[in-house]
Amino acid sequence: MAGLRGLGRVVAGGVGGALALAALGGCVASRQEPGQATAAVADALAEAGSAAQTTRIAVELLSRGRLTGPVADTTLLDQLRVLDDADAALTTLVPPDAASSAHRADGLAAVGDVTDVVVAAREWVAVRSGGDLGAGPAGAGELLDDLDQAAGAVDEALAAAGGP
Amino acid sequence: MKKVFAAALGILTAIGGFVDIGDLVTNAVVGSRFGMSLVWVVVVGVVGICLFASMAGRVTAVSGRATFEIIRERLGPRAAGANLVASFAINLLTLTAEIGGIALALHLASSVEPRLWIPVAGLAVWLVLWRVKFQIMENVAGLMGLLLVGFAVALFLLGPDWGELLRQAVPPSPPGTEHPASYWYYAVALFGAAMTPYEVFFFSSGAVEERWTAKDLSTNRVNVLVGFPLGGLLSVAIAACAAVVLLPAGIEVSSLSQIVLPVAQAGGVLLLALVIVGIVAATFGAALETALSSGYTVAQYLGWSWGKFRRPARAARFHLTMIVALLLGVGILMTSVDPIAVTEMSVVFSAVALPLTYVPILVVANDPEYMGEHVNGRVVNALGTVYLVIVVVAAVAAIPLMIATGAGS
Repeated sequence: MAGLRGLGRVVAGGVGGALALAALGGCVASRQEPGQATAAVADALAEAGSAAQTTRIAVELLSRGRLTGPVADTTLLDQLRVLDDADAALTTLVPPDAASSAHRADGLAAVGDVTDVVVAAREWVAVRSGGDLGAGPAGAGELLDDLDQAAGAVDEALAAAGGP
Repeated sequence: MKKVFAAALGILTAIGGFVDIGDLVTNAVVGSRFGMSLVWVVVVGVVGICLFASMAGRVTAVSGRATFEIIRERLGPRAAGANLVASFAINLLTLTAEIGGIALALHLASSVEPRLWIPVAGLAVWLVLWRVKFQIMENVAGLMGLLLVGFAVALFLLGPDWGELLRQAVPPSPPGTEHPASYWYYAVALFGAAMTPYEVFFFSSGAVEERWTAKDLSTNRVNVLVGFPLGGLLSVAIAACAAVVLLPAGIEVSSLSQIVLPVAQAGGVLLLALVIVGIVAATFGAALETALSSGYTVAQYLGWSWGKFRRPARAARFHLTMIVALLLGVGILMTSVDPIAVTEMSVVFSAVALPLTYVPILVVANDPEYMGEHVNGRVVNALGTVYLVIVVVAAVAAIPLMIATGAGS
């Protein structure tokens, strides 16, 4: 009986060891396929595109007096968080080939451009709400132009990464 | 006027149940991603919650006792205990999300960091639970929550292509850009949100607070037939606003601030302000409901003295349970967890727990010992059975769909 128990322990230990080895081996061996990496880039860019469009609506509405300063500020702050997530998704991605590496680089640049415009838009909102920022950032028209450019870059990068 | 206020319990229950923070976000996400193609789920959910809330209200009106007390007596402590554990856990998740929702709504109105609002919101909920009479609480929260009708007004002001909205809704099918698994994940989430267990426990315990008797069966019907369909309509209006403004712009909803943009576009600052007040009232009302439901379920299961019609000193353990639930909710939120993510989780886990809530209600509503001549009729039982099948399917599918779709992402 004791021998059987001992054999059971050996078998259990062996199975456990094999499972642990398989799991660790899986971690070491795991790598993203090119298609998965490109899809991850496309997801991050779709989020950035959404943030750009949300910012556009918020800036337009505030410039027409249809939105309050606090709501506009909160909206833009939320979009900065979305862009931060998109940026994190791209920076932590390990591209498996040169093509997905290029998609990631274009994506990072596009997300960065949108982030710059959203940051400028927040400053503009602060100035409109009575903040003291000296000369202040550009007006709504200029912001919307910058946003157009940045959103265009996102669309291009998204199309290159196989997005819609 | 008295008749109008008689429907306040149903309105508060429905406003909390259908347009709490999770519903606000889920409906807007659904509208911005799937257009109106999931409206059928809201309709199925409204019929289901009307059916079971009406049963729970009838059980209370006829027996004079809350549903959970009878479930424990009729099914025994083990079955009722499983129900209690599941509903308390989901209540706590939902309460946490609602306090976070109040903070997010106040953040939207003030730009002040939500973490500063969380303790204030928790304290305000406790003060109302401690000091304010049940009738005043339900009338104020329910009727102020009606300001969310602003979403329906915004939809009309936006002047959408109604034919296009109808084409998205009928026949219901996922848009080509979305994976069917994501479509069904959100279908289950919307259904779980509509049929959240706390709604029936709150509704039946509220009927005890209002001292309903068999003479109040018509009040029960008015509450159910006015309150829940109204909540459903508000849900559809939120989804439609998102479908009209956010979907064409390719916006993926991830925050409360995006949900109010269509309202501002349609009605400007005035309508926006009314809707934000409505969001604060609805999330506040839902926080009151879930906190009370936590106290109700535990006290009714353990046979403690309960109810807001009693002075706090005479229902001390009931009030203590609510305080503990509130402290837990505030504590969880202060770890910086995203309240919207918490609500989305609670909605999915609600779907998992649905059979534990609705099977016992159907059993009790058919027991002549409690119900006498007011037992369920054949039509109600047939509908109840159909809904139990739907509820079980949703419960079984919820977790696999959540894993397969990465929570709908």
